[in-house]
Amino acid sequence: MQPSNREMPGMASSLNGISHTSAAAAAHVALRELQNGHGLPAPFDHAGGGVGHDDFLDQMLSNLPSAWAELGNPRPAWVPPSDAPTAGQRLFSAGRAGESAEEMQYDESLLLANRLRQHQISGGSSPTGEALMLQLSRSGQQQMLSGLLPLPLTLGSAGSADSPNPTGGDGLYNGFGGSLQLAESVNQQSFHHPQSAPMPGQNFGAAPPAAGAGQTPAASTLASASAGGGSGPPRQRVRARRGQATDPHSIAERLRRERIAERMKALQELVPNANKTDKASMLDEIIDYVKFLQLQVKVLSMSRLGGAAAVAPLVADMASEGQSGAGRDGANDGAAGSSDSLTVTEHQVAKMMEEDMGSAMQYLQGKGLCLMPISLASAISSVTAGHLGHGLVPGVLPPNPSGDAPSSPGVSALTAQSTMAAEATKDGVAASKSLSSK
Amino acid sequence: MESKSSTTGNRDNPNRNLHGSKTMMASHFLRALFRIQQTSTSSSSAGRSRRIRRAAYASMAYSAGTRRAWSRALLRKLRSRARLRFPRRLSRAATPQRRDMDQAQVLRKLVPGGPSMDDCKLLEETADYIRFLTTQVRLMQTVMDSVSS
Repeated sequence: MQPSNREMPGMASSLNGISHTSAAAAAHVALRELQNGHGLPAPFDHAGGGVGHDDFLDQMLSNLPSAWAELGNPRPAWVPPSDAPTAGQRLFSAGRAGESAEEMQYDESLLLANRLRQHQISGGSSPTGEALMLQLSRSGQQQMLSGLLPLPLTLGSAGSADSPNPTGGDGLYNGFGGSLQLAESVNQQSFHHPQSAPMPGQNFGAAPPAAGAGQTPAASTLASASAGGGSGPPRQRVRARRGQATDPHSIAERLRRERIAERMKALQELVPNANKTDKASMLDEIIDYVKFLQLQVKVLSMSRLGGAAAVAPLVADMASEGQSGAGRDGANDGAAGSSDSLTVTEHQVAKMMEEDMGSAMQYLQGKGLCLMPISLASAISSVTAGHLGHGLVPGVLPPNPSGDAPSSPGVSALTAQSTMAAEATKDGVAASKSLSSK
Repeated sequence: MESKSSTTGNRDNPNRNLHGSKTMMASHFLRALFRIQQTSTSSSSAGRSRRIRRAAYASMAYSAGTRRAWSRALLRKLRSRARLRFPRRLSRAATPQRRDMDQAQVLRKLVPGGPSMDDCKLLEETADYIRFLTTQVRLMQTVMDSVSS
């Protein structure tokens, strides 16, 4: 009677793809076949369908009404509903908020949907899809309606959705895949198991009826829907959250996507100019930024050649401090096991401090060193002593230019930490440029 | 290594602030700089800059430890004494295809240890790598400023 078997795999395969335009085309083809089988006139093409919005629903719905009207007649179960389709229309206008002009086309579909809804035994959220599935399976007209199965599901889905939701599209396609699977399974088995047949249907009955407008579907949900058929009493299946499926595959997929989005957000904070318009441009930014940073390292390493000499006192002191381990005690002696250059420096600084604080500071700065209050130094050293491994306990030249003996060789050691520390010295002791937090 | 949030080892809670790592990075880098200055006073500037660059990445990797895949890969590369090769894109083939279809691939080449990561992990490692890179760059800039003033 109808080439439904032919079209079913086509529909399944196309719907399993990601592009819903192809699915729409496939549906269109399916309809044509159906109609040809019935000798019906070809439906109008995408009349007013929201092709511009990639609206699968639009296309499907615009294609099917005439077909539905014709198909509905020969079926005893599909009594053309005479009751006012107000509810259905309401559902529809709610679902298709943006396209009020399309409502007229949906009349037949609405009637059908309404009919099935009434046939439904017990109400439940998103019952329409399930009801349709049940009705279809029970009526034993799978073949005919395989092409139409998606429609009722979308009708139901669209009806109960108030706002389009990207994840809703998943549910939509969930329904589609499920319907196809259901049809296939039933066809393969027989109609004598109406109980088992509706089971797969439950999955997408469970699928959120959140698809107000056909959004980009997720192929995974289709696969998951098909795999989701299982045991369980009808209409008591665990209801997945809006926009999600219960199948572990799709859940894992969703989890993975969420994790990636999370990481993208974290990256967005790190990278400047992160106006995340889309993932691809964001990735470009990230790539460019990493390249830029690596380039900076290279450039900085090239430009540091001349200044290496001044690094010596810094590093020498740190190394020696690590070995002596008692900077403060050694400081009093004025020769805390540090290198000669450092001791000399210290003496010089001490001398200069007696004369003129400013020149002392300048001298220190020229060496890349700084003065710091003892309290701050001890605080820093306590923080860093642990992981630096060596007992770097820098003392500090007391901020007292009264001529006290230089007490500590640890001034220079602080520079290394202070370069990275964000604190700025407070107590009126000048800090070298290296202290300025960057 | 004493770092505030990195000791949790929790991947979902990235180490946003590198307090502890910074100091370790600084000390390691400065020590390496000193060594370089001592050992190669008369060597070519190219070799010297290469060594400095290597020291920079070494200090990054050491302060990051072995928690991270990128630091492990970097340490491996450094220990094997291989030349620190980086995907330097020559100007001639600057951007044949700007919007790369395979951005993940490009990113994998940039981040050490990239090729052996899946996308999710790659993004995570990239974030950490960027953090340490910025810290290292800032450190180098600071040292240069303090040294040249």
